[in-house]
Amino acid sequence: MSRIEEILNIASHLPPFPKVAHQVMKMLDEPEVKAKDLAEVIKYDSAITANLLKTCNAAYFGLSRKVSSLDDALVVVGQDVLKDIIITSSSARFYKGEAAGGYQLEQGELWKHSVATAIMAKLLAGHFDKVDSGTAFTAGLLHDIGKRFLSSFVADEFAKIIKLAYEGNGSFVEAENKILGINHAELGCMIMEKWEFDEELSLAVKQHHDPDALEKGQLTALVAIANTQVITLGVGVGADGLASKLQGEGLKRYNISSLDLERYLAELLLEMEKAEEMMTLAG
Amino acid sequence: MKVIVGISDMRISTKPDDVLITYSLGSCIGVVLWDPEVKVGALLHYMLPDSSIDSTKASQKPFMFADKGIPLMFKEIYKHGAQKSRMKVYVVGGSQVMDESGMFNIGKRNQMIIRKMFLKNNVMIAKEDVGGNVNRTISLEVGTGIVRMKVSGRGEMIL
Repeated sequence: MSRIEEILNIASHLPPFPKVAHQVMKMLDEPEVKAKDLAEVIKYDSAITANLLKTCNAAYFGLSRKVSSLDDALVVVGQDVLKDIIITSSSARFYKGEAAGGYQLEQGELWKHSVATAIMAKLLAGHFDKVDSGTAFTAGLLHDIGKRFLSSFVADEFAKIIKLAYEGNGSFVEAENKILGINHAELGCMIMEKWEFDEELSLAVKQHHDPDALEKGQLTALVAIANTQVITLGVGVGADGLASKLQGEGLKRYNISSLDLERYLAELLLEMEKAEEMMTLAG
Repeated sequence: MKVIVGISDMRISTKPDDVLITYSLGSCIGVVLWDPEVKVGALLHYMLPDSSIDSTKASQKPFMFADKGIPLMFKEIYKHGAQKSRMKVYVVGGSQVMDESGMFNIGKRNQMIIRKMFLKNNVMIAKEDVGGNVNRTISLEVGTGIVRMKVSGRGEMIL
């Protein structure tokens, strides 16, 4: 099997995304969902249940009191917040261990980057009238899922990729393309499709490193900006460094100035401090 | 002992065995001060140039901003007997993503403000490594004054 065939094969032999997560997300779209019915579904996945309890007490979600059981959590947590918590609790399993060693990221760093991007996406969501903040959060959390599965291939060709990225004038993603024949964003899109996420989300994952991302759909633009912000701050950034391209002119369309970008970075840092419980789920 | 300096933080040490270290300087800038006489070292990791964007955060986290953090860092190290004329100063970081419009160019703005402040206050930089598209880690051995830098894709070196 050629290498590109091997990489494309990843998507068909993928561990499934927890069924419980999709089921619960669908239930949460109904305005009148009962906590009891949610608990019935969630308790079937012990990892989600455990993560959910750890996560929902993070200061980030600002609950009025500490919760200690699933039933209790489902009563206290609002539906919108519960969506973010469910997606966080379900995704962490894919980021455990040396999830992106090929990118020279230490254990837990890709997850940290992903949570930070999700938080930033939510902070920025108000600028995007066609994106709801839950979708922004999910897209931020999963935008780099392709790295998790491309990592070992990047490791195999690391010297070539890094040379091309830093000696040429290109980005790391362009170097992935040239050496491996595919990049982590494209692979990520295939994974999102396989996991049966909405097309809007798969597309945003696919396009998040497109230099013209701000001219594309709103979710794509939002994820590209959030990711660029987190890369700029250096959170969960590996060998690819800041070698990432994005044309910033399109920020004007969303009424975001360069000073706004600075304000959101300051905000992100404080939010990250409140999200410690989430950051360490895949440690 | 390894003393980790987080984003928007500053640490000072006079313990010869201490290593002050800060990770993942993207657009942020790391400033190292070391006085060879009194062997005191300090490391600052600031994130943004100008605190006027948010006065609440400026008082909460002065080391987030160059304009507040740098003067405070000097003030603190002088308390340990350090003198400006003797101090070795290192400046590292200030990278940026590839954006021709300059909108995402916080790294450049972080570089400009420290240059301006150092020029005005007659502070000489011993060595610097700023800009580009890389991610940097920097550390200072308090006992010896050795400053090490690790750069994504370039490896580790002594500054």
